[in-house]
This record gives sequence, C-alpha cells and structure tokens, in this order.
Amino acid sequence: MSNSIDINLGRENNSMNSLTFHWFAMFNDGTVINQFDQEGKEHRFQEVKDKFSDLIFFNLTNNKDKFFTVDLKQGVVGCNNHPQSLNTESKETKKNIRLIFFRRRRKEIGCQDLKIKSESIKYHLGFQYNYEDGKNRQTILKIDEEGNFTIE
Amino acid sequence: MAATHEWSESNGAGEVVTDAIANINFGSVDDNNINTITYPITIGQNSFSKYIRGKFTGVFTEISNMKFWKSAGAYIVGESLKAGANVAYATPSQVGTVDTDIPTTEGAALSVNSAEGNPTIEYGVSGVSGYTGYMRLQLRTTGSTPAGAVNQKTLTFQYDEV
Repeated sequence: MSNSIDINLGRENNSMNSLTFHWFAMFNDGTVINQFDQEGKEHRFQEVKDKFSDLIFFNLTNNKDKFFTVDLKQGVVGCNNHPQSLNTESKETKKNIRLIFFRRRRKEIGCQDLKIKSESIKYHLGFQYNYEDGKNRQTILKIDEEGNFTIE
Repeated sequence: MAATHEWSESNGAGEVVTDAIANINFGSVDDNNINTITYPITIGQNSFSKYIRGKFTGVFTEISNMKFWKSAGAYIVGESLKAGANVAYATPSQVGTVDTDIPTTEGAALSVNSAEGNPTIEYGVSGVSGYTGYMRLQLRTTGSTPAGAVNQKTLTFQYDEV
C-alpha cells in the first residue's frame, strides 16, 4: 500500500484538508518528507515512523507566522527558532531522544435537539528521552489552531 | 488531510447502520435522528437504548486513546443517562441496560476500542473496518421527573491521530 495519497490535491486546493498546521521531517541522510509534497500529494506519518531512528528534525508550520521545531539531536523543541522548554537539562543527560507528535481531536454531538456542535484540534509536539537515571521524561508543546501553546 | 470522523448509529433487529447522524436524541422509538416531540419518553420510563459508533475514513496512520463522556448538560430531577463502551450490539429496547451513569469528565471517560476490539485503529490494515466499538446509551426517567423537555446535553468523543 502506498503511503501517499494518489490524487493531486494539496493543502491549498484540498477541500477535505482540515488541518491548520502541516509537518515536514528531516533525516540524518539529508532527505526530507513534507506532509504535502511539491506535487500536492499528501504523505502519511507512517513514512516518518518507518525511519524513526534516522529522524533529526521534525517541524510543524501553518505557513504564516508559526514554525515549531523539534531538534532530536539536541533534545530541544522551539517556536520560531526560540527554544521552548521547561527543562534545563543539558543534551548530555538526554539519552534515546524520541519524537512525540499527534493531533488530539475532540468531536461533540448534542442530544435532545442539538446537532453536531463543534470540533477542535490540538497538536501535541515534543520529545521524550531517558534521563541519566534511566527514567523516561518528556517535554511537549500543546498547540492550538491559532498557534498558541502551553508547555508540559 | 486528517482522518474524517463521523457518528454512526445502528438500529433494528437486523442492525441497520446509519452513518453521518446529526444528533443523539433519545425517545420512545428505535430510530436515529429522532424528533423528540413526536416520540417523547413517558415519565417513569426509559428511552430506547442507542448503539453509537465512530467511523473513520480518509487517510491516517493511527487512531488511538479514544474516549467518550458527557461534557455538558445538567440533569433534571429523576433523569439519568447510562452508558457503556465496547458492548455487543443487540436490538435496541426500553428495557433498562446494565450500564452505569455516563462519565462527566475527561479523566473518568469511557475508553473506546476499535470495532475489532483493539485500542487503536490502524489505517489500511486488513480486517480493520474503521469503526469504533459500540457505545450504548440510554436516557432514564423516574416518576419524579417533571413533564416537559429535559436539558440539552453535549457528548464528546476524543481521540489522538497521526
């Protein structure tokens, strides 16, 4: 099964595209996968998962004013090139750094004469790693559709 | 493009599946998108049980962490809403279900599996229907429930997607 959608629809002309932010991933051999490539095809995140151990940067952008980056070599997540992190641990203390990315979606429906009411998306972006003591720690930005975020 | 989610309801003895339902109105008939004025629940009785599922289409990699709860809408006297997740389909009826009160917070939400009984729905895997398991719902009243419409309520389904 192909990982890309075999129709020529990109984020600009795809009426089914409901995402504000789109990702692109960079690997240690210099290759890049854009969620929407130059031909307008959409690629599934599965392609990133398939090369997870080679991933060095993962970016999320709305192509306007917000650009979020996870640097998986340094263990840093940033917004518009400004590192955003509550943890001040040095890179040397972070072992086995791994990407965290998913969209958390909420769909509401009414009962007793309400119709489908709303839906919302929050992008969860960050990384997890093993600290010196071996315990797992993580830093995540929770980003809303306007690009506002909180750090967890 | 994200995964497309729609609500689905099953009705009837032979299970007629209706996708893209507009609401989850409870009433005195086994049907979807019920007009509650036409099919009111008699005081002291239960609504017909409802079997609701989520249906995912489009292109995605994985759906996980699926939760379901009542996020808004106060009960009136004697009213309750019962819910169970990942139940087997049975012909809807007004007989009281075995379910407990629907959770009202995300922290206590019902965990929902795929129709195949897995905690995730993976895109394109053979045998994966794209449906969640059934969420069974029933609105109940007692003799003390006042006549007239109950309050509107909001049900929330949350999931993580990549």
